[in-house]
Amino acid sequence: MKIFKIFIVVLLFSFSLTINLKADSEKMVLGLEVFNNKAMCGTCHVLKAAGSTGDIGPDLDSLKPSEEQVKGVVTEGLGVMPAFGEEGLLTSEEIDAVSYYVTHSSEK
Amino acid sequence: MKKRIIKKIDTSKRNFLTGSVTLAGVAAATSVLPISIAKANHEDADPKGLPDFIKWKNRDALIVHSKKGIETHRSAIGESLITPNRNIYIRNNMPTMSDTQIGDRNNWKVSIKGVKNPKTFSLAQLKKLGHTTMATILQCSGNGRGFFAHEVRGSQWKTGAAACVVWTGVPMKVVVDACGGVDSDAVFMTSAGVDHEPTGLDPKKAKVERSVPKKVYKDAMLAWEMNGVPLPNAHGGPLRMVTPGYFGINNVKHLGLVAFTKTESTVKYMKSSYRISPIGKKGSQYPSCWEMSVKSWITRPTDETGTVKAGNVQIVGVAMGGTKKVRSVKVSIDGGQSWKKAKFVGPDLGKYAWRQFVFEANLAPGSYNLASKASAGGKTQPELRYENRRGYAHNGWKDHSVNIKAV
Repeated sequence: MKIFKIFIVVLLFSFSLTINLKADSEKMVLGLEVFNNKAMCGTCHVLKAAGSTGDIGPDLDSLKPSEEQVKGVVTEGLGVMPAFGEEGLLTSEEIDAVSYYVTHSSEK
Repeated sequence: MKKRIIKKIDTSKRNFLTGSVTLAGVAAATSVLPISIAKANHEDADPKGLPDFIKWKNRDALIVHSKKGIETHRSAIGESLITPNRNIYIRNNMPTMSDTQIGDRNNWKVSIKGVKNPKTFSLAQLKKLGHTTMATILQCSGNGRGFFAHEVRGSQWKTGAAACVVWTGVPMKVVVDACGGVDSDAVFMTSAGVDHEPTGLDPKKAKVERSVPKKVYKDAMLAWEMNGVPLPNAHGGPLRMVTPGYFGINNVKHLGLVAFTKTESTVKYMKSSYRISPIGKKGSQYPSCWEMSVKSWITRPTDETGTVKAGNVQIVGVAMGGTKKVRSVKVSIDGGQSWKKAKFVGPDLGKYAWRQFVFEANLAPGSYNLASKASAGGKTQPELRYENRRGYAHNGWKDHSVNIKAV
């Protein structure tokens, strides 16, 4: 019985893990789409995972920003960088996704 | 039963791996998806080294915050007034223009507008028009940002986004006179760079155009030489606006236009960036980063130079008055409880340069907090920083103090 309980727990855990990973990979796909097309982040930033070599803003592979840092700067802008959130250029879902994508794609 | 359970567990493991593979697949896909991005001006940079456009700089003197934010070590600012070019900080908003983009340097053009007779001068023509040499302090508006307690975006400069530089060029007043004088209704002198042009970005967002009060032109100059060499591209060559006593951003690089205007520029770098606003607020109603204030800091000994030998210690530093002549500087070896006057040494290069100071202290073995406090134009450095959103214009003496040990 105890073994059966463990089995159920492990099964539920693996199920939720699969769901989470699916959600995470969808976030990565949306994040990449936002990075490369909707927000055109690559025009200004280096991010090797996205094949971008922009030379205006910081090199994201070197900077390795946290998700919160990306979210903040994408929302409010900085210098030449547009305030994608405040100017309504990206939705909050897109900002979440691109922040997640950048943080998980910058070279570790 | 046991076997089935193991199989189930194995299945779950496979699910986990599937998830992992999916993630890896996304990462792999990123390198093959079509992207439309500008690749111009990109130079590979070793994150631990220096970017290609400033490979000529002294790596040991510099702290690399980012490719366009590179700080001078506190102890590498120099003790002979002038900061050597190889040690001077880098803070660029746009990519540095290349020799190819600049072309024939003598043929570099700058337009003068908002004057009686608007004209465009080549660098060769400017060199015939007039000549002057002047020492000024170049200081990034965010110098000292690294001391702020709230999480401020941008390079975390401590003391090293500053330098004392000797410029050579033509006085702006001579240029203005050659154009018949300033339009009578002008209020601002607005300078614009052209370094955004190769990027193809929207000029409203990318053009570095800065307005300062019109009166600044009387002491300003258009510089083509920096510390005895042609103005390096990385510092805005071949021609740069020098606005003495004003923060670095107003000293516009790769200068293409100087216009006397009734209103401030409306580009982003003027309207919303470089505004000293309360934490949590922003907007063009707040003061722009214009005049620098009185400030000083110790450059030796510091926590970078390590412990000192007990006994006589020379405490050395720099003191500046912003737009006023620095009158005095005091040093404390007990965290600001008591202060004694330090001595200025070396030549006085004018009110826009900093003065080198020295204070001799006899230190018994122990720990010390060393601080300096300058006075200029009736104002003395405050103890604390003025809290603001972007961490600009820090001149509080407490954060700039250093902790050392005498052994």
